[in-house]
Amino acid sequence: MFFALTEDQQEFGAAVRGYLAERFDLAAVRGVVEDTDGDGNPATLWKAAGEQGWLAVTVPEEFEGLGLGLVEAQVIARALGAGVAPGPWRGTVLAAEAIRLAGTDEQKATWLPRLAAGAAVGALAADRALAAVEYGAIADVVVTTDGRLVTGASGTPRGSYDGTVRLADLTGGTVEELAAAPEIRSRAAVLVAADLVGIAREALTRTVAYDRERRQFGVPVGSFQSIKHTLADLHCTITMAEHAALYAAHAVEVGAEDAALAVAVAKAKAGDAAVASTGAMIQYHGGIGYTWEHEAHLFYKRAKRLAGQWGDSGTHRARIAELTMGG
Amino acid sequence: MDLSYTAAEEEFRAELRAWLGANVPDEWRRPGFWASLPEDESFRLRRDWERRKAEAGFAGIQWPVEYGGRGGTPGMKAIYDEEMVLADAPRTVNPLGLTFLAPTVMAIGTDAQKKEIIGPMLRNEVIWCQGFSEPGAGSDLAALACRGVRDGDDFVVNGQKVWTTNAVHGDKIFTMVRTDPGSERHRGISMLLIDMHQPGVDARPLKQMSGASEFGEVFFTDARVPATEVLGDIDDGWRTAMLLLSFERGASGISQYTEFRRQYDAIVGLARTLGRHTDPVLRDRLARVLTDLECLRLHSMHVLTQVEQGRDLGFEASMTKLIWSETFQDLWEVYDDLLGEAATLDQVSTESGGVDLRPLHAQSLWSRSVTIWGGSSQVQRNVTAERVLGLPR
Repeated sequence: MFFALTEDQQEFGAAVRGYLAERFDLAAVRGVVEDTDGDGNPATLWKAAGEQGWLAVTVPEEFEGLGLGLVEAQVIARALGAGVAPGPWRGTVLAAEAIRLAGTDEQKATWLPRLAAGAAVGALAADRALAAVEYGAIADVVVTTDGRLVTGASGTPRGSYDGTVRLADLTGGTVEELAAAPEIRSRAAVLVAADLVGIAREALTRTVAYDRERRQFGVPVGSFQSIKHTLADLHCTITMAEHAALYAAHAVEVGAEDAALAVAVAKAKAGDAAVASTGAMIQYHGGIGYTWEHEAHLFYKRAKRLAGQWGDSGTHRARIAELTMGG
Repeated sequence: MDLSYTAAEEEFRAELRAWLGANVPDEWRRPGFWASLPEDESFRLRRDWERRKAEAGFAGIQWPVEYGGRGGTPGMKAIYDEEMVLADAPRTVNPLGLTFLAPTVMAIGTDAQKKEIIGPMLRNEVIWCQGFSEPGAGSDLAALACRGVRDGDDFVVNGQKVWTTNAVHGDKIFTMVRTDPGSERHRGISMLLIDMHQPGVDARPLKQMSGASEFGEVFFTDARVPATEVLGDIDDGWRTAMLLLSFERGASGISQYTEFRRQYDAIVGLARTLGRHTDPVLRDRLARVLTDLECLRLHSMHVLTQVEQGRDLGFEASMTKLIWSETFQDLWEVYDDLLGEAATLDQVSTESGGVDLRPLHAQSLWSRSVTIWGGSSQVQRNVTAERVLGLPR
């Protein structure tokens, strides 16, 4: 029995977190959030994603990728969530996954090496309407879950109060048929769940650190039992969400019998954990937590957006009921 | 990631499954069977059955062969627990001994203690009770008042313990006793191994809100115990107790998942029988519980992995206790709510006849106890906040 990350997988995650801590910290994230006219994809970070293999993670070696799997991808997603990092990493990885799983040899040869290197930006869209696509305005290739490959579409920006992303409605462009990639929605849900888990853990860690130091009534506020118990429950919930995201990645990757259930469990648990943890982050920082200057809102807003992506918690629970209770 | 067991472990599973298949009578699998028996008879049946199981080699799975165990792996122990649930095998009559005392003895007991305690426990020759809680010392264990005074080679013990599982069936009790007369709080306590078959020990059943009497009270009036019958050092019992409590469940969580998942499926079946299974609110609540049950399964795989890697789980045991007990209680709350106005009735009528709810009610009522015993949820949250998250005391 080995239900854990290997040393290599842990090191991969540590490398992403280390890079963000040193080279793209919350001040840099804030720069992107406040630069509302920008494309939301800072060049330094994108370059690093290409050079350090974050984008190449699931691309096969024959197409100049690392040939790793969804477990490693969720390690990266978790680290990017913890750093509330902006940029089209997830869309690019998912577009590559769709092409790897369902593309023609020519489509693979055209796109996979470029997506793996960061020479092209990818996006995965959930429907034919191509509405509110993540980084749609700068995407070189958009793949839809129903099996189309779109290039050269034009984008109209869609506002979102989560400033760590840019969204666009897309129209036009050239459409190529692509087989519908199996489990591509599951893969998307797993990577979003992992991002949410990263957000949730980081929000809790920062809140604990603050409440150990912040003094009111002559004592650290973290010594009050009502705060302790809430944070202890959050720690349990987040730990469970971490297990669930890890297992779902594995289950989808190996095509486990319970993969559908695992994905629904992971997404529902991670979404709830992140919304609760970032809400607590605001509450347990007191008034400062509600200010623009404080970082709590970066985590909270990203959690709110992603909790609704690729099925919100209620939708996934309806799926869980279907799988375990029948109709 | 490797979620499989080894070939040797799977071989063990097949062997155990075959034995259980041949040795668990069909009648025992009937819902409500155990509840229909008088308590003494149920205990005697289970005690004998478990002894036969031990003689067949299916006991002390992880304990060394030289002390009467099977010398198996943590994976085999997880398999053992799971197969016991799948076979509807009766619950052990020696839970405190097997779960808590045995691993503590293996960790810090003398060689003589390992020989004297483990084997007889596995064969149910000695039923062990745990003497921790007192009327004035529940969650605050360090407030205990039970005292032992040195008299020659013995301690003479006076005081009272309560919430003692199997009190009236117990042969010996591992007991937290204040042996240093001037001591306070965590200091000056010893864990004494007291023979319950003596005039100075009086064990009485305690009737619970469910009507059953799993627990009891134990009164010590000049009870005697040799000073050598101590686990760990004299006056250092707090350290022994903390080690002992750290064995909370550990790698047996997989069987808990199996057990709770069966209960979930039974509740879903009842919802269907009652025509409530399409209610969207109920479905959402059941799906929440199922989500937490699945997480419990993954957590037990995590715990087993850590154990196999030789890592110390430390205070993570508090989280394990907290999540299984709270999830179990959540599950049975959904059951209560699904019944609506039939929530407390012994029977509910359906188109296909009456359903006897009493075995299910017994579980539902029991679920109120699990968040209290073995360290209440509130204590576990304190431990998690202070010892894991590092929040100030």
